[in-house]
Amino acid sequence: MRHKREAKITSPVITLGDDSYRIMSIAGFVGIAGLVLAFVFALVFHSGSAWQRFSYGYLVNFCFYTTISLGALFFVTVHHLNRAGWSVTVRRIAEILAMAIIPMFALFLPILLPLLVGNSDLYVWNQPGWTAAYAGHTLTDLEKLKGAYLSSGFFGIRSVICFAIWSGMALFFFGQSLRQDVSGDPKLTSRMQNWAAPLMIIFALTLVVSSFDWEMSLSPMWFSTMFPVCFFAGAVMSGAAAIALVALLLQRSGRVTDEITVDNIHDLGKLMFSFIVFWGYVEFSQFMLIWYANFPEETFWFKYRTWNSGWMIVSIVLLIGHLFVPFLALLPRTLKRSRKFMIGATVYLLLMHWLDHYWVIMPQIGFDGKDYAPFVFSIVEILSFVGLGGLFVAIFSFIASNRPLVPLRDPRLSEALNYSNT
Amino acid sequence: MVSTHAHPDHAKAHSAPRPDSELIGLLAEFEDQDALLDACEHARSSGYKKFDAYSPFPVHGIDQAMGIRRTMLPFFVLAIALGAVVLGVGMQWYANRAVFSPLFPGFDFIISGKPLWSLPANIPVAFEVIVLSSCFATFLGMWYLNRLPRLANPLFRIERFKRASDDRFFLMIEKSDPQFDADQTQEQMRGWGAAAVEAVRLDLTDHQIPLGLRRIGLITGLLLLLPPALIYRAQHATNPEPRLHFMPDMDWQYRFGAQNVGPMWYNDRVPQFFFADKSVMRLPVEGTVPRGGLETDIELFRGIKAGSKIPDPSTAPPLPTTPPADEQEAAALALAQAALEPEWVTTFPAALTVDQAMVERGRDRFNIYCVVCHGYAGEGDGLVNERALELAINSPIQKGATTNATWTKAKSFHDPEVAKQPIGRIFDTITNGRSTMGPYGSQISTRDRWAIVLYVKSLQKAWIDPPKPTIPAANVPPGASDARPSNVSPTEGKSDEKTDPPLLDTKGN
Repeated sequence: MRHKREAKITSPVITLGDDSYRIMSIAGFVGIAGLVLAFVFALVFHSGSAWQRFSYGYLVNFCFYTTISLGALFFVTVHHLNRAGWSVTVRRIAEILAMAIIPMFALFLPILLPLLVGNSDLYVWNQPGWTAAYAGHTLTDLEKLKGAYLSSGFFGIRSVICFAIWSGMALFFFGQSLRQDVSGDPKLTSRMQNWAAPLMIIFALTLVVSSFDWEMSLSPMWFSTMFPVCFFAGAVMSGAAAIALVALLLQRSGRVTDEITVDNIHDLGKLMFSFIVFWGYVEFSQFMLIWYANFPEETFWFKYRTWNSGWMIVSIVLLIGHLFVPFLALLPRTLKRSRKFMIGATVYLLLMHWLDHYWVIMPQIGFDGKDYAPFVFSIVEILSFVGLGGLFVAIFSFIASNRPLVPLRDPRLSEALNYSNT
Repeated sequence: MVSTHAHPDHAKAHSAPRPDSELIGLLAEFEDQDALLDACEHARSSGYKKFDAYSPFPVHGIDQAMGIRRTMLPFFVLAIALGAVVLGVGMQWYANRAVFSPLFPGFDFIISGKPLWSLPANIPVAFEVIVLSSCFATFLGMWYLNRLPRLANPLFRIERFKRASDDRFFLMIEKSDPQFDADQTQEQMRGWGAAAVEAVRLDLTDHQIPLGLRRIGLITGLLLLLPPALIYRAQHATNPEPRLHFMPDMDWQYRFGAQNVGPMWYNDRVPQFFFADKSVMRLPVEGTVPRGGLETDIELFRGIKAGSKIPDPSTAPPLPTTPPADEQEAAALALAQAALEPEWVTTFPAALTVDQAMVERGRDRFNIYCVVCHGYAGEGDGLVNERALELAINSPIQKGATTNATWTKAKSFHDPEVAKQPIGRIFDTITNGRSTMGPYGSQISTRDRWAIVLYVKSLQKAWIDPPKPTIPAANVPPGASDARPSNVSPTEGKSDEKTDPPLLDTKGN
């Protein structure tokens, strides 16, 4: 065939190698220091509600990094579901990011354990008799059901099940992929493809449950069936952005320079673009229905986020920064094919995704069922961002360690290497 | 097989050109896409500009190989899409009457308590307009850039080219290319690995649309005439059949009638009630007044002098129900009726500005609501009145002389009794009705009713009692007895020429 690259790995360096230990130690140190500092600052600046402030900041960042991991897991699953060829070379990075979901469960414990011992600083539904207090009237059947659903024990069980399923999926795809590096057996690809469809269904269900549990139940009387879709859209967008960012940074450090082509980056850019539009679409759908129906039991959630002067600014920044700016910036082909631009774009999109979680979670702090507390920005959230970010990077380099950062003997490797966005 | 018979044909074709066809290019056939890609690169590097490649499927990299610049279609679509934003939002802005337009009054409906102009409600429509116009822009722009539609292509007359949609790859270099030279180009093409090279000729003899196509066009055109013909027939014919109901549950919906009391019969079985008291709408809360309904200005809203005593019909002695037998009784009845009359205003309420515009408005409303009975000049000779009288007089009951006619004649405003009525009383008549005349209070706004009163007064003032004809009516030339108010047009005045039978002469009643 004509000008065809052989299905051969030609980059000189394809692993993190010894650098992984260095990254692990530095990032781990930054991570622990960041979290400790976040807690200290919470004690200093929010002495009355230090644990609450810390928990909220922690939850924002936990959701941020977990959704990156879930987005990567989705990427791997949908890659096999579609029998995709173009994404083979970036799939290993996605697999490693998806594997991070296993240690993320340990980082979930600071949220889960206080809940199990009866702390209600984060989730107000964890205090007895909350339904009656929040409803302010005779309970409807729906509210009784919510009261039964939102209990710490059931919440814990659901979380464990979700994490178990995701961990299983990540382990399965990562394990099969690593085995294929050795054997080159195309049957492993078939097996992953066969499993991708049922796993995708399970993944969707667990994502819905966890988005309800982690974020929507912060405002337990509010409900929106569109909410998990928004959560999902943000997760996939940030997953694609993280994969592209990791790939670009690895290439900057001289790794996998030949395998991950500019067409891969271009395609990841297209994926990000599509999920930016999708995010805007579903966020607007959620807003539109609530705005139009105008039921007080739904509107209060948006009312506070748009009428409160501080949160209104965040809302506008989110609308412009998460939708309009990236829409226009990722539209031109030349920009999506520029590695330098894409590093900036992915970092920007990840920050916007962080702001999305911040916008969903933080207004609930100090909400007592009727009134919200005023907007307060705190360094605690920033420090948790740095702290959990450090731990996330450490986890990534621990999983990557000496493993190849690109599938070595995938049957579609040649297709990916020769792929071109005409 | 293909390549064997190609050579002689081609050689003959361009050594002895037939006058009825013209060489327009050379077509080279390749066996796989890579050969085609290579050939494209060769053609480009040999300096050819006017050539095209044909393949059964999209070939990756062919654009670069052919040196095709990136299309400007995306920018075209982007421009159209941005225009669609303006169109979609502007359309709704205009339709919601956010802007005054003399051409289109707009729908200023408040829907679900939202402002007339509200951006979130407009986004879905704007989005759909963007999607639709972008699709059209992409599709039609692609056609335009590819110079489509094209009804015929000389390539389709080449037998081997049929495989271009199956398993062969083709490259055509056009004769209009400055580098083109039939022999040299053919050699080059063979050098690039062409399995066969063939001349492409434009047939100059046959520029007519094929007969089959013309027939199809004719039949299609005739068939297209069918729907309008059927519609025309349906419009000009009667059909005794009941109309078709495609969706009976939409035509006969199970629903509560507004302002009803009583059940909705769902499936004709279960009576459904909306509120516990079986009514469908709630009455206004006691002691509340609707916005704008606090009508405290008694002069303006009832035509009664402010501060005067309003007689209460419930405490007054009942009026006799039988018609008065003699003059004494009639006088007593008139007195009793007069006692029930409140003190009507004789001047226009202070809240109104009496000016020419109000007279014009009054004429406008009068000609809509009043003229059908009272006539244009207020003589009580409107068409409805005339027809009703005719029907009443000619009715069998009337001929049998058992009852009176069931129609009370419309009053002439120029009747001396009517002419001296205070304006408050006229206003009350319009508002609440009298005798056969129904109440108009719910249909005509307060200020318009006063405007009608003003117009009635101006009609009365302009009235000159026409002289009684002294010659037989039939001999009166048209217009001779016209002594109509100046603001009544001649044609309107002619409607009551005094040539009709006496029963239609309602004047002087």
